Amino acid sequence: MGDRLVIRATPTGPADTVIVGAVVRASADPSEVARDEYRVLVHLDQLQSLIGYGDRVDRFAVATRDRAATGRAMAAINDAAFGFQAHRSRDIAVETSQTFLVVSRFHHAIGVITIVASAVFLLCIMLLKVDERRRDVAALRLMGISAATVLRSVVLEAAMVAVAGSALGVGLGAAISAAVNAHYRGVYRTPLAFSIVTPEVVGFSVALSLVLGVAAGFLAARRLTRVPPLALFGR
Amino acid sequence: MSDAPLAVSARDLRRDYAMGDAPVHALQGVSLDVAAGDYAAIVGPSGCGKSTLLNLLGAIDRPTAGSVRIQGKPVESLSDREATRFRLLHIGFVFQRFYLMPALSAAENVELPMAEAGLSRAQRRARARELLRYVGLEARADHRPTQLSGGEQQRVAIARALANRPALLLCDEPTGELDAHTGAEIIALFERLNAGGTTIVVVTHDEELAAAARRVVHVKDGRILSDTRVR
Repeated sequence: MGDRLVIRATPTGPADTVIVGAVVRASADPSEVARDEYRVLVHLDQLQSLIGYGDRVDRFAVATRDRAATGRAMAAINDAAFGFQAHRSRDIAVETSQTFLVVSRFHHAIGVITIVASAVFLLCIMLLKVDERRRDVAALRLMGISAATVLRSVVLEAAMVAVAGSALGVGLGAAISAAVNAHYRGVYRTPLAFSIVTPEVVGFSVALSLVLGVAAGFLAARRLTRVPPLALFGR
Repeated sequence: MSDAPLAVSARDLRRDYAMGDAPVHALQGVSLDVAAGDYAAIVGPSGCGKSTLLNLLGAIDRPTAGSVRIQGKPVESLSDREATRFRLLHIGFVFQRFYLMPALSAAENVELPMAEAGLSRAQRRARARELLRYVGLEARADHRPTQLSGGEQQRVAIARALANRPALLLCDEPTGELDAHTGAEIIALFERLNAGGTTIVVVTHDEELAAAARRVVHVKDGRILSDTRVR
């Protein structure tokens, strides 16, 4: 604070001497987090003389306390404006967030593909495990245990595997997320969250895992219970 | 012939299997009555049809021709679901390889058929303890099958087969996986069970087990060669 600095827009451009009046901590902005630069706030007339341009505004954002009034304010500005356009601040926010939305959807897709691939893996495991037990299942069926009971128990087992896997996955995800945030917050000196495990993400993952896990168990068990017990014994 | 009611009655049983182009006649007109409380051993060389006969007597398989009545009920026309339920409530099975569920304790294995039959948890536990005490394994009730010897596993399997108080106990080579000493224990257990009124039909190659039965039925080439009451 109070230091005198000489600033110019280009190395050979006109210079101006300024006194540091305030140091502002940059707010958390995902679009600027990786930029390694300083931001200097100066008065508009100073900026104009430094860069040699006049006013150059082609659009600005409008927000009003009364949301219903935003449209009217925009219309009034745009009627009077020449060479620039007023936009709702929310529309601009959405527009500038498009990249992040795309990245978010991409991550979502990766997550879904991972869960589906895990379910296919679970199906294979269930098929192998159930096939290993074909003689046990045959013995149960010969003893009078119904196909429905065998089916239920295999589906229950698959559901328990899916729930345990989901719990492990959520725990692991939360831990990795915390580690990622801790690392990149340190690297970029920002309070931004780089990885978020939301209740929606957890709910969706657990629900999808459970549905696919139960389906895997059902398919594995049905494959076995459709075969007559004596055939399972190889007779 | 005993005056006791028939536990199982088979009439002119035939069972053919398709094997390639030529059918295999596994059973060729077998008739057999087993009275309630009897103890019959079915013996014969491998491939003679004795296991096929046991499967038909146990409502596991359907005959190509002929009929099977268990406690007077014809079973050859039962649907798969009806036959499964019938086996649960009326027939106990003992297999050569025990087939105990590895994740369950001995008591839970015994409770399994009772749970399927709809008995309450308290009833199941009491009956399982009673049966394990009967086969001398009450102290091992909470052990998993992997913690039990072969003989102990077979005794648990026998207790499980008796869980729903079946009219008929069918055993397929029950001593086949056991050493002579342990096999003798199982033979003694069958004798004790039969003395208590349990009807037993056992398919075996084990001469000592066959000798312990009241009656020995010799099967050869899908036919009964002899049916001898030995005691």
